[in-house]
Amino acid sequence: MERTVTVVPEDGLHARPAAKFVETANEYDADVRVAPTDGDPVDATSMLAVSSLGVASGDDVRILAEGDEAEAALDALEDLLSTPETEA
Amino acid sequence: MTDEDATRTYEGTGVTPLAGVGTAVWYDPGAESALGDPPDPADVDPAAERDRFDDARERAREELEGERERTAERVGEDEAAVFDAHVQFVDDPQIADGVEDAVADGLPAEHAVRRAFEGPIEQFAGMEGKMAERADDLRDVRDRLIRLLTGGDRVDLAMLPEGTVLLAERLTPSDTAQLDPERVVGFATAAGGRTSHAAIFARSLGIPAVVGVGGRLTEIEADADVLVDGDEGIVVVDPPADRRERAAAGRDAEIREDPVATVGGKSIEVAANVGTLAELDGAIRQGADGIGLFRTEFLFLDRAGPPDEAEQLEVYAEALDAFPEGRVVVRTLDVGGDKPIPYIEQPEAENPFLGERGIRRSLGPDAELFETQLRALLRAAAGGDGRLSVMFPMIATVPELEAALETVESVAGALESEGLEYAMPELGVMIETPSAAFLAGELAERVDFLSIGTNDLAQYVMAAAREDDRVAELHDPLEPAVLRAIARTVEVGHAGDAWVGMCGEMAGDPAVTELLVGLGLDELSMSAVTIPEVKATVAETETTAAEDLAGRAIEASTKDEVRNHINETNT
Repeated sequence: MERTVTVVPEDGLHARPAAKFVETANEYDADVRVAPTDGDPVDATSMLAVSSLGVASGDDVRILAEGDEAEAALDALEDLLSTPETEA
Repeated sequence: MTDEDATRTYEGTGVTPLAGVGTAVWYDPGAESALGDPPDPADVDPAAERDRFDDARERAREELEGERERTAERVGEDEAAVFDAHVQFVDDPQIADGVEDAVADGLPAEHAVRRAFEGPIEQFAGMEGKMAERADDLRDVRDRLIRLLTGGDRVDLAMLPEGTVLLAERLTPSDTAQLDPERVVGFATAAGGRTSHAAIFARSLGIPAVVGVGGRLTEIEADADVLVDGDEGIVVVDPPADRRERAAAGRDAEIREDPVATVGGKSIEVAANVGTLAELDGAIRQGADGIGLFRTEFLFLDRAGPPDEAEQLEVYAEALDAFPEGRVVVRTLDVGGDKPIPYIEQPEAENPFLGERGIRRSLGPDAELFETQLRALLRAAAGGDGRLSVMFPMIATVPELEAALETVESVAGALESEGLEYAMPELGVMIETPSAAFLAGELAERVDFLSIGTNDLAQYVMAAAREDDRVAELHDPLEPAVLRAIARTVEVGHAGDAWVGMCGEMAGDPAVTELLVGLGLDELSMSAVTIPEVKATVAETETTAAEDLAGRAIEASTKDEVRNHINETNT
């Protein structure tokens, strides 16, 4: 399954937001990938891959997930990307 | 500068208004990862190498966790978060795959790590801004893993000898997190800018630092006697005795969390100048009583459009919460002159410092930004802890102030009718034009406080630009004319029932603290790192002696006479 989400955090998917994104993707029993609207999906559990996408605030991304907890993973990641960054 | 000076002095970007002198120690972490050629693949046992790699990752995680905690405690949560990213690079599946392939090719784990990071580092280094910083993070993680694999001794930056001046090509977040201000009296790096991690740590820990010196830094030999002056942005080898003494004197003051008073019992509020939220932690740590100058420009810079009311409200509330017992003086947007903002149209001015800047823009082309900012400020004043004060920059006439005050009233009226919670903050004027100093009495009658900005005041009183080295001699707040403008402002300000503070660089110079106390200032606001020393000086000041000094200083005809009076009192 797949969803398109607009990235809200001001830093896009750099540094702290990216770290949180990767951490969350790792929590679920699912194969999660992420892609810019015009690009190929990369492994969402790889900090390297996620931050190299260069996703900025306001960009759309596609999140793809397969596996037992795919839906829960998508819910959590969508939630994360649509919330302005809050204090850790 | 003479040729001889040029051989001994190295220029860079100063990041803390502090100087320190000590013995040079070179830190070259790159040397640890300079691996030799790999051994013959036939001699390598891939299974054993995989175990070594797993073991190194485990230890790297442990180290990072410790550094994260230490940084959160000493610098702040925001800076500590960089270590979360490092942990994830350590665990990255793409890196793990790269290492696995290399090990399968017969490379030992440390060479495999080097190869696995090569591509990603190159990729990020070629990008711009924040992405390029990722390359530094990756190098940091790679070097950590290789060090753990090769058993290389960790250069323990936390255990450097006392009196060390640390010199390095660059300092990573992991490096700077280990620095102990009790041992490291200063550092200088060839790379880096004012906003690098190293610079932020230096400000927060109160370490004198100069960054971005460039390749010439390597000319300084280990064990050399070195002065790092983070105020002037210079590194001096074999510094002259007078500079050395001044630098050494500044490092002994203990941090006092409570407000201080003179020997005669006059309380002086010692506050911090703050230009970003990241500096709040440092201000608290150095014992600031509050914030005497909260510059709001950072909110407006480096972005495509202005911050909205909600975003500003959050920032002001955070500053207020940081000082539940103290006062937070927020200066409204001060653009124009030398501060370009991309989405604000500023026509070329022949003489920008005498042009449309500060309140002149807020009452003119930036009226909308001004209103939004005031809305956020009035709303912030209602919530949270702490006392909010708002001051207007570049006021030159009474009608300008009245127009600003009317805007505050109308914003309050609008908030009232919208049913939004707000409160009226203390209101004040920054005294930085000669006309404001002459009109200080009239201004004081209309507001709660005056805050003297000595950098601009000296520039305008002396008609000498701050940036022009050729007239640097004239640009000095100890010039009798500037001193008299200050003395007069305090006197008529008090007569008008306003408290009077100072937020220019002069306020943070402990050599003139006694004079400023004698002139009657109620509050001094400065870079956080100089707070301990100024507080210590206030506590030692005799009120009557200080007043006596001030009386003589404002009678002086030249700044040399003023200096002589100060020196006589200090000895």
